Amino acid sequence: MNLPKIDLSALPDLDTLTGVFGSLANPVRAMESDDNVVIIMTYVYDVLIP
Amino acid sequence: MYIRPELQALRVDDTPQRQAQAALREVYENWRRNGPGWQAEAEVAHYGGGAALEDLPLLSALFAPDEDSADAFIGDLVNRMLDRLAAEPLSQVPLRTSTNDTLSSLLIAKHGTTTLVLQAIDGAGLSRKPGPQTASFPPTETLERALAGSAAAIRVRALALRPDGAAMTCEPIKLRPGSIRHRIGASETQLLQHVPAQLVTLKLQRRTSTSAVTREYRLSDGQLVHQAAGSPRESRLELSAALLGRMGRSDAAPLLAVMAEERGSSALRWQALRECLGLDSAAGFTALCRIARDARDPLAAAAGALRAQLLESYPELAGVCPCPA
Repeated sequence: MNLPKIDLSALPDLDTLTGVFGSLANPVRAMESDDNVVIIMTYVYDVLIP
Repeated sequence: MYIRPELQALRVDDTPQRQAQAALREVYENWRRNGPGWQAEAEVAHYGGGAALEDLPLLSALFAPDEDSADAFIGDLVNRMLDRLAAEPLSQVPLRTSTNDTLSSLLIAKHGTTTLVLQAIDGAGLSRKPGPQTASFPPTETLERALAGSAAAIRVRALALRPDGAAMTCEPIKLRPGSIRHRIGASETQLLQHVPAQLVTLKLQRRTSTSAVTREYRLSDGQLVHQAAGSPRESRLELSAALLGRMGRSDAAPLLAVMAEERGSSALRWQALRECLGLDSAAGFTALCRIARDARDPLAAAAGALRAQLLESYPELAGVCPCPA
């Protein structure tokens, strides 16, 4: 069967889009106030462990 | 640039710094292995697995009214660290930390997405920021105990949820040392308004659903202004699906079709379905038809509409998955 190649841009999104984890429309006050789980990354500690 | 002699010496030989860091880590590991740390970590793991708080002796004591266990627990850990830091101020606390001009967090224990976190809010930093315009409702359950300081906050409840918004109620509350708040994030959140000096809290959080989303509503009228994935895993998978699509990895189409039909967030499933259709129209269209046929599937209506659209544009797809009607 010869099937078409479907163009991704022709495929609709859902009515309500969902942003990536942690994204906010109004982030200015968010971190201090709400309960979004904070992911704390490790930066330098591992370098310093002998 | 002036560099203090002790720092200059460390540039030549960093052995003292390494030794100081090892000593602080040893203090921390001792707290984890021989102090209350192991019990905290074990109970956080059980709590994340769905255990009731009353079955966890340490955690239930930390969040019980009229008990000073939380002060003793945190005081013990912090004092062990501070004693070492007083001797070696250049060493770094091995707990994960984050800080900005308002919020400082110290991750005490973690298992998966369940966390026990010590947080300090600086009132001066908070007052420099504009007041909250929105409230966000993440799929988490939070227990919070104020340890020191005070704050004026509002408790925001989302009552009647609509696809495009929610009816909300706001109630002023005061946080004082010993205040304990428990909230289910999908329907209740807390916004700090004013912190006179500092507010130090201990927060225990676990995720209530792996596929739910975080919704952010405007305070003035309850309009939904943003929706975000409720877990980092969902976002990672969505990014992976998009990457496979951009790479033209048609060998991944069967995997994307499975993702599209799995239980999980609608947003992730829909993106997996789109990428699958773009990579392999037969595999994607077969998955699309199955989703459209399952009336219990929240994506059934959207999938049905897309199936009709594709059949109109590409009639040859009818041979892949004949319409049951």
